[in-house]
Amino acid sequence: MKLYKKAGNTIHILSFPGEDAKKGCYLIIEDKGCNKSMIVQVIDIQFANIPGIMEELLRDSFDDGSVYGESIDPLDITSHILYIQDASLLVCKIHGSIEDAKLVLDSSWLPSRVRSKIRRLPIESLINLAAINGSLPINLGETDESRHVTIDAHALDGKLNIITGKKGTGKSHLSKILVLGLIDHKATTIVLDLNGEYTHLGLTSDGKENNFYRKIHVLTPGLNFKVTLPQISLYVMQKVLIYALNLPGTSSREFRRIWKALDDRGDLSLHELGEAIRSWNCNQNVKDALFSRYHALLQSGFFTDNSGEAVSLEEIFWKTENGGAVVINLSDASPTDRQIVVEYILGKLQELLSREKIRPVFLFAEEAHLYLRETYWDDIVTRMRHLGVFTTFITNQPNTIHENIYRQADNVFLFNFINEHDLEIISRAAKVDVETAISIVRDLPPRHCLALGAAVRDFPIVVKVKDLDLQTGGETRLFFANGQMQKVGII
Amino acid sequence: MLVIEQLHYATTPRYNFPQPLGDLELPQKIIDLSLNSMSNLEGESFQTCEVDFLELTRSTQERENMACLNGRSFSTQLTPLKPISDDTPIIAIDVSSIKFGETETGILCAVRGSVVWNRRRQYRYFRMGPFPFYVNEDNKMEVIDLLRQYHFQVSSSLNPIDMQAKLCSLTEKWIQMNICSSSNSSIILWDGSLTAATSNNPLEVISHLLKMARQRSNSVLAFSKTTRIGFLRRKIADLSRKYPPPWLFEVQQMTFSPSLHLLGNVYIARFKCNGYSFRLDIDRMVPIEEKICAVQKLIGNDLVFQSYPESLRLAHIYSTFTANEVIGIQHYIAQEFKLKVLTRPNVRKMLFGPFGTRSDD
Repeated sequence: MKLYKKAGNTIHILSFPGEDAKKGCYLIIEDKGCNKSMIVQVIDIQFANIPGIMEELLRDSFDDGSVYGESIDPLDITSHILYIQDASLLVCKIHGSIEDAKLVLDSSWLPSRVRSKIRRLPIESLINLAAINGSLPINLGETDESRHVTIDAHALDGKLNIITGKKGTGKSHLSKILVLGLIDHKATTIVLDLNGEYTHLGLTSDGKENNFYRKIHVLTPGLNFKVTLPQISLYVMQKVLIYALNLPGTSSREFRRIWKALDDRGDLSLHELGEAIRSWNCNQNVKDALFSRYHALLQSGFFTDNSGEAVSLEEIFWKTENGGAVVINLSDASPTDRQIVVEYILGKLQELLSREKIRPVFLFAEEAHLYLRETYWDDIVTRMRHLGVFTTFITNQPNTIHENIYRQADNVFLFNFINEHDLEIISRAAKVDVETAISIVRDLPPRHCLALGAAVRDFPIVVKVKDLDLQTGGETRLFFANGQMQKVGII
Repeated sequence: MLVIEQLHYATTPRYNFPQPLGDLELPQKIIDLSLNSMSNLEGESFQTCEVDFLELTRSTQERENMACLNGRSFSTQLTPLKPISDDTPIIAIDVSSIKFGETETGILCAVRGSVVWNRRRQYRYFRMGPFPFYVNEDNKMEVIDLLRQYHFQVSSSLNPIDMQAKLCSLTEKWIQMNICSSSNSSIILWDGSLTAATSNNPLEVISHLLKMARQRSNSVLAFSKTTRIGFLRRKIADLSRKYPPPWLFEVQQMTFSPSLHLLGNVYIARFKCNGYSFRLDIDRMVPIEEKICAVQKLIGNDLVFQSYPESLRLAHIYSTFTANEVIGIQHYIAQEFKLKVLTRPNVRKMLFGPFGTRSDD
């Protein structure tokens, strides 16, 4: 490989056949003259602009049909000509330098074209050099050199993360790896599971219990996840009514009075709430509004007066003291019910965290735009993060995540995207070098992701996400699946 | 192993192309000369040349023709042509050379030859080379000896730079020899003219080649892409546009240097309305009817786009060097003989800036 040119933080390197350089791999340019090395990442591979190549190709095109023949080349010079023809130009981004065996973020110097030796930098060396794998390793998978890529769980602690990519590329798979990795390090995670994909985290593919079985707590609203009104603070209930059920301000104030009256009497129950609304002396329109919301709460099935079937979220969190996941299965919930549940959980979380009753939690939110209200986006990156909710958004529609989330994201895990619009959106992330992201992400095969940000110390790394021996859940039902076709008598 | 369609070759089964390779022993000598000459390079440093590929399209022979055949007076005779399609094989030969580097004492050049066969509009080609040579004052006698062995008139004081054209010509003559001695009843197309006794066209060699061709009922037609044959101080190619092609103008009573021998009759040929006119030399010893017939068979059996035979065009394309190939050859030299490649600053560019460049910029 030969250093060709440098413009800004982009370096062009000439590469010849046999010199194995792939998109996403790292190269080290060693200039022994000044005892420095530059670390660059290949973000694109192009044909080298070889003079005369057009004539060569035109001449070769005759061989495709109209003209046959052969060449006698006793000195085998043709192999050298072909070697030159196949030369490629590696477009690389500078990511730092090594001076006195230390990594420095200096890219202002220019390596010598003549003296520099360029070689591939194994990801393993980069990981050691940049101290990417810390004391709490989470193995994400491997590189194309079959070297393990592990990140430090500390890099997710207190951080905002995004996992995005088009459908079927393996986003949820990586998300599960992170969840289980965090559990391994005794962290508490909450998963807002839209499709019921995380409900079998505790089972192996053949249905047996795995090491995480007792640490996975699946809560399905209306089934094994119900709450009584006394478990809910007025603050949380008002949020549910205002944001999930769109209760107007005047009605909300009236509700507050009803709630306080019931609370003072010690009669806070669904039944009593209904009776109180019915008998409350207020404007009929307000009464109607309160009644319609009351019935929505009833129909959600999430609320109960039977304390025996009620679940204490606080107690569930205590169960995860030594690591565990609380999976909120929203797969069968209606959009309104989803919002009610999420409002309750986030409100409760804030309440518990602000009183320091539980440790900080890692929240994994799949397709959050389907249940997260507008004002929560800002809350998540500011107040909630400060309280101890460290969110990971998982989506296949990058435009559904607010721009400020991208700007403040600490870690971004990008799977394949082809759509220009999607690529443009993800390039807004502060941790993403636009050219790197767009060029590499466009060509990522399924189950490969580009990890960016704090977790990889700002050295973008392409990872082949490892397999998990888990029972899959929430799979898309197919019409042409064999079983289905047999069932309907097609075959 | 060569796989070439069996055309009108000699009846002896063993005597198929490239059987004459062994008889003439030249290719091995060329390879040996190439390798021996290059071995002198070991450890040296060489300066790559800036190759002007536009200039390369004009072969050395063409330049020679332009210099030699500047006729003063002649009469002309127009012969209309009727294409004859009879599946006569057309065989075209061309050779290219290029200087791709130099050292303090010599030059590095490469030669490649090609042959294109056309039968029933099916084209086949055979390429030989490239053969790189390093010629300097120390080893030029070895090259000169080889050239003299094949009747080239070469002075011992010949500059290494002039060796390139000689080596190119030697390779070309060898290929022509093979084709003339192995083909029967074919039209053989050469690039250049049948002017002999020039420094690159020894009279003995050209005469012998034509004789061999005649003995096997072949017709040798030599096309020059440019010529200075003129009439009333104007190029005849320009004057002849008013006659509907295809036709031949025979150029008679031509005056030229007494040291030169025209072994062919010189014609101006134009085959297509939208084409050019070319100088065409046809073996003088062939009867006039056969000459005309050979040209008619050529235009009847080969594509003559722009009035130029397609077989000869392909032969040129397959022999010529592209910039990419020059880099490949330089890479071979540098790697095989451990040469250091130097890039000398371009004095023209340094002196004249953007005005000191040619087509390369």
